Amino acid sequence: MQTRYIIPVLFFFAGLFFTSCEDVIDINTDPAPQLLVVDAWINNLDQPQIINLSLSQPYFDSANPAGVTGASVIVENSSGKTLVFEEENNGNYVWTPGNGETIGEVGDGFTLSIEWNDVIYEASSQMNRVPEIDSLVQEYREPELGNPEGIFATFYARDFPGQGDAYWIKTYKNGQFLNKPIEMNLAYDAGFDSGSSIDGVVFIVPIRELINRFPDEEGEDDFEVPPYMPGDSIRVEIHSITEAAFNFLSIAKEQMTNGDNTIFALPLANTKSNVRNVATGERALGFFNVAKVSSAGKIIE
Amino acid sequence: MKTISTALLRRLPILVLILFSGTILLAQQKYTISGYIKDGSNGETLIGASVYISALNQGTTSNVYGFYSLSIPEGTYEVQFSYLGFENEVRQIELNGNLDLDVELFEAAAELEEVIVTSEARDQNVTDLEMSVNKLDMSTIEKMPTLLGEVEILRSIQLLPGVTSVGEGASGFNVRGGSIDQNLIILDEAPVYNASHLFGFYSVFNPDAVKDVKLYKGGIPARYGGRLSSILDVRMKEGNSKQFNLNGGVGFIFSRLAVEAPIVKDKASFILAGRRSYIDVLSQPFLNDDFSGAVLNFYDLTFKTNYNINKKNRIFLSGYLGRDNFGFGDAAGFNWGNATGSFRWNHLFSERLFSNITLYYSNYDYEIQFGDDSVNKFDWTARIINYSFKPELSFYLNPDNLIRFGGQAIIYEFEPGRAMGISEGEVTDFSLDKKYAIEGSLFLENEQSIGDKLEINYGLRLSYFNYTGEGTAYEFGVAPPGERRPVIGAQEYDQWESIENYAKLEPRLAIKYQLNDQSSIKTSYMRTAQYIHLLSNTTASTPVDVWTPSTNNIEPQTAEQVALGYFRNFKENRYEFSAEVYYKRMKHLIDYIDGADLILNELLEGDVLEGKGRAYGLELLLKKEEGRFSGWQSYTLARTERQVEGVNQGKWYPSRFDQTHNLSLTTFYSLTDRWSLSANFVLNSGTPTTFPNSRFEQQGYVIPHNTSDTRNNVRIPVYHRLDLSATLDGKRKDRRWQGQWVFSIYNVYNRRNPFSIYFQQQDGRIMEGMSTNTEAVKLSVIGNFIPSISYNFKFK
Repeated sequence: MQTRYIIPVLFFFAGLFFTSCEDVIDINTDPAPQLLVVDAWINNLDQPQIINLSLSQPYFDSANPAGVTGASVIVENSSGKTLVFEEENNGNYVWTPGNGETIGEVGDGFTLSIEWNDVIYEASSQMNRVPEIDSLVQEYREPELGNPEGIFATFYARDFPGQGDAYWIKTYKNGQFLNKPIEMNLAYDAGFDSGSSIDGVVFIVPIRELINRFPDEEGEDDFEVPPYMPGDSIRVEIHSITEAAFNFLSIAKEQMTNGDNTIFALPLANTKSNVRNVATGERALGFFNVAKVSSAGKIIE
Repeated sequence: MKTISTALLRRLPILVLILFSGTILLAQQKYTISGYIKDGSNGETLIGASVYISALNQGTTSNVYGFYSLSIPEGTYEVQFSYLGFENEVRQIELNGNLDLDVELFEAAAELEEVIVTSEARDQNVTDLEMSVNKLDMSTIEKMPTLLGEVEILRSIQLLPGVTSVGEGASGFNVRGGSIDQNLIILDEAPVYNASHLFGFYSVFNPDAVKDVKLYKGGIPARYGGRLSSILDVRMKEGNSKQFNLNGGVGFIFSRLAVEAPIVKDKASFILAGRRSYIDVLSQPFLNDDFSGAVLNFYDLTFKTNYNINKKNRIFLSGYLGRDNFGFGDAAGFNWGNATGSFRWNHLFSERLFSNITLYYSNYDYEIQFGDDSVNKFDWTARIINYSFKPELSFYLNPDNLIRFGGQAIIYEFEPGRAMGISEGEVTDFSLDKKYAIEGSLFLENEQSIGDKLEINYGLRLSYFNYTGEGTAYEFGVAPPGERRPVIGAQEYDQWESIENYAKLEPRLAIKYQLNDQSSIKTSYMRTAQYIHLLSNTTASTPVDVWTPSTNNIEPQTAEQVALGYFRNFKENRYEFSAEVYYKRMKHLIDYIDGADLILNELLEGDVLEGKGRAYGLELLLKKEEGRFSGWQSYTLARTERQVEGVNQGKWYPSRFDQTHNLSLTTFYSLTDRWSLSANFVLNSGTPTTFPNSRFEQQGYVIPHNTSDTRNNVRIPVYHRLDLSATLDGKRKDRRWQGQWVFSIYNVYNRRNPFSIYFQQQDGRIMEGMSTNTEAVKLSVIGNFIPSISYNFKFK
């Protein structure tokens, strides 16, 4: 298990003693070259599959990144199927499944090829199995652990026996993806990571419950998890991911939420892309993963 | 490796004989005066008190048990005993046989600050062989300004040259570029694995029970070993053997109470000291309902007793028990703590052969638990336990040679994690195998004077480590630098079956050359080896970091250090000055891959990287110990770097605790009989950290990226802070009850010193299509000035 799961709890206590404080400051960072960013998380759902190409930007440049145009984007399935992603706007390249068509089956291998400015990039992935969500339930809770009373949601699903399954659990509240870095919900088998072989059981509590949103509205207490309200819709999706994708997302989450670790922060680490320049072997940025998705939805009563 | 050790052992007696044959042959009819030097008011033995015979221009100092021995030709002499802050004692002796002479010294009367203590005791800075050693007096530590009124040993030593920390609240300290696990912290010989309460804000040492604190940063004598960078030797009081004595205090964080008393006057005594934090009690009314049932406290208990069986035998029993407890009722809990116990037996084989045998036990463990029902629960404990046997002998051959020899055997048991998770009633046990190891060492050293000017301590330490079963040893394949190595093999081992063993020779040397009465030059060399390692990849070490032995995949860390120093006293030893330069290089240091999984990971060795380190610097210290105005200034100019394949593109980079400049001023001023003031000022260069220079988006997340893949490429802003304190002593010092008020302000001018800078996307939720701001945030652990009042008392 990584220390980061414990750290926020630790420092919360220390914070009760000392008035630590955080100030947003202006700093300069080194100029950086612009690198190709491949945002290719596609899945077997019957909906348009989008691969976005863009360029990295200076850290404090908050503009939406410019899309990369004029590239050719192809995904090949090991069963012999070739999917051509057609360019649309803002660097989006889209493939829309036809009637009854899917991207592939569990166990299929996939190769992504991108040709842009006469440079060829490639990445490969595999579609892994994903467990069904057995139930998605709501529960009324008394105040506990600093959280207010109210309705909280939990989902139940059982990891497959056998180590090495990795998942990204995505939650949508009223159609809105819960996209705060701290809400990123990753599972390795039924637990947090590969080291602590919690395998073949129902996902452990912290994973089951990370489908409740974190505070995001004015006036909400940062230390509280706000409850759901009657009428809210919740949709939970489990996406199967590869081990390399799990490592990529783990480092990404670790880096995006490193501030929460306060004095126990980790050194800055770069994510490791699986997209490489074929000629030089250099990595691009971003990731290519093909997921199988299971899902469940519910309206809070 | 076996051959080196046996060959060496076989030759040891010959080696000793050759070294000392000359001196033995020259010896004439000599007798020995020996005994113990004690504080007459409470019977505590005095460490480092000096014994001097001016007629011969010869002397010695008492050892850590207060024992001294001096062999001189027969005759009539005047022997002077002295100790800083105490009145000298002069004895006339007629030496025509071995003489057993115990001496009690008494604290200098009334105004300690006004007393001029004679130069013999005061010139140790220059005349002592030791260099790279700092000693802090408890009475000095007690006068320093504090954070929330608590006298703090570990914070105090950070004001010495060569000692740094990654920042406020971080546990541990860094000595001359070493990581925090490279310090051996020993409390009455037993190692303390986590010396912090409340992360790193307070140390586990109760000042009421501590007698002496000594930090070795370099030139470590052969009798010490086991860590690369430093030894922090903390000695506890024996307990008042003259009369009952009660000490205590009430502060914002702790209240303390210590009882000392004779059991049999002048023969046996004890001290029992305890502290407990009570912030949870105080804050209870202010916590809202959501937090009711919150537990947050820490406590420690320190106990020691000793018994003088007879002139030749004395035994000591010391123990420490401390715990930090955090929890929310039954829902979640977290606690950690150390327990140590040591039994020591001082035995005099003769007036010239002093021995001490230590048996100790040390344990550090923690527990984390979430959930209290049998359906969903997580419970995790980890610990390190060790047992040791450590005989040490000192042979006072003659006034010019003090030979020490001995050894140590340690048995380690590592329990990296016993963990159990219950998910919907299904139990998963993901405990890791325990690991076992044996560490052994032998040492021989001689402290020798050659003529009036030259003094040398040369020694050799042979250390040996055996990583044994039962357990599974893994073999890892290769991976690109900086990436997780895959397991390619595993082998089971039976109990005590050797998996891997290492042996290291650690030569040590220290030389002092006396230039004149006021100045000397000293130099030292040491080689050190370290067989156990703390796995920690966070900026400040956390209480859940685990210790690991050297294994078939993790080699012992080794270091070599050379130091050269100039020592000079001014104005009749009222001012002490020292300048030292050092260079240290380290091998087999531990680092980690990005995204390393260090806890509850059976295969963590695959996430560990190995690297090299180097550290060099200049340390200046100017000290004034007498007069109404006293204190010290320390300045360090230093650099500490690491090189690890897979980090920073394999190039050298500054370590996270590298501080180019480090200045500290500590001053004391006694205003009147009752009022004294003190101030600290510290100014440090910012420590290095890594900034991202670019960002990219992925599924709506903004991920930071450093395109040059460098480590610690920028420095956080400068750290500076001023603390003040005023102490008001009671009206009359002869009363049985003596009270003292201490008023302190920490961070007087309210500076928000940076601990680190981190990067994040703006707060709040990013809606689809919206652009995302990213920002840099400065974290200050202490964001304001902190005033405090505490009350201390003594009753006798």
